[in-house]
Amino acid sequence: MSKHRVSRRQFLNYTLTGVGGFMAAGMLMPMVRFAVDPVLKASEGGDFIATKQRVDEITTEPQRVDFTFTQKDAWYESEVTNTAWVYRDDKGEIVALSPVCKHLGCVVSWGSDSANPDMFFCPCHYGLYTKDGVNVPGTPPLGPLDVFPYQERDGILYLGKAKPHKEA
Amino acid sequence: MRWTSSDMDMYMKEKEYVDTAVIPMLPVSFGSDMKQAASMAEFIALLTNQLERQFRGRLVLLPGYTYFKNDSEKSLEGVKNWERELGKDQFKHVFIVTADTEWKKHERNLSSSLIWLPSIPLEHMDENYKVSIIEDQVKQLMHLFIQKWRESE
Repeated sequence: MSKHRVSRRQFLNYTLTGVGGFMAAGMLMPMVRFAVDPVLKASEGGDFIATKQRVDEITTEPQRVDFTFTQKDAWYESEVTNTAWVYRDDKGEIVALSPVCKHLGCVVSWGSDSANPDMFFCPCHYGLYTKDGVNVPGTPPLGPLDVFPYQERDGILYLGKAKPHKEA
Repeated sequence: MRWTSSDMDMYMKEKEYVDTAVIPMLPVSFGSDMKQAASMAEFIALLTNQLERQFRGRLVLLPGYTYFKNDSEKSLEGVKNWERELGKDQFKHVFIVTADTEWKKHERNLSSSLIWLPSIPLEHMDENYKVSIIEDQVKQLMHLFIQKWRESE
């Protein structure tokens, strides 16, 4: 047989170390996992949602673009459709504005007020925003409309989470 | 605004801007028209929910008024009670949204604006189709609301 004979004591030592090691690993692994969990979590809200809008079809006239995502409200999950007003500005860059009025959260729309056809209009308290989303002084809204960050993938417009307007 | 505590905080703060209350009418029946009542309630609940999203800064969407379909006398009393109670506060406009034709008969006795819409059976509908149908209906409702608001100015 082999030259190296394993004594009973050695055999027991090996098996105990092995089993003990597994047990220790079994206990420590979840702890380590919990400790680093926040790092492993995918960042929420950073992801972009696909719309049905083709990028090359965006004109200088603001148009409604709907996009749907799943929203979790406590334990109730629902499909939510969000809207953005998308157009190209004078420099040819895409602008995607959130339709939520900065006054009390109604939904604004482009040119729905016959007196101001080239402004965003809030039907609740007659708030007005210019085309770049800046509120018109003298109307109820206190700030400019939020802006959606956008990406272009395969010619399709993707929108991210609304951010406060930068300029103004 | 919805009938939730966080929205009520907003209401307290911005009271002067909120002048409209919406009561969705939700019929309940256990007779032969059980299914019809359920589909009406479903339709009205969906519709008013969407409406609230559009006009959340100016209206309060109250929890629906639930009533037994076969007991119209009593339900009418209940609605009048609501109207009295809402009139006390500063709701200049109270809208009752229903799919039940029964209310059309009582319209004269109500001080609020009754909006009747025919219920659309949504049960066999594809999700996308459902959404677009509700959206169309909401648009019509919005026009009605805006019109009423304009009239009172």
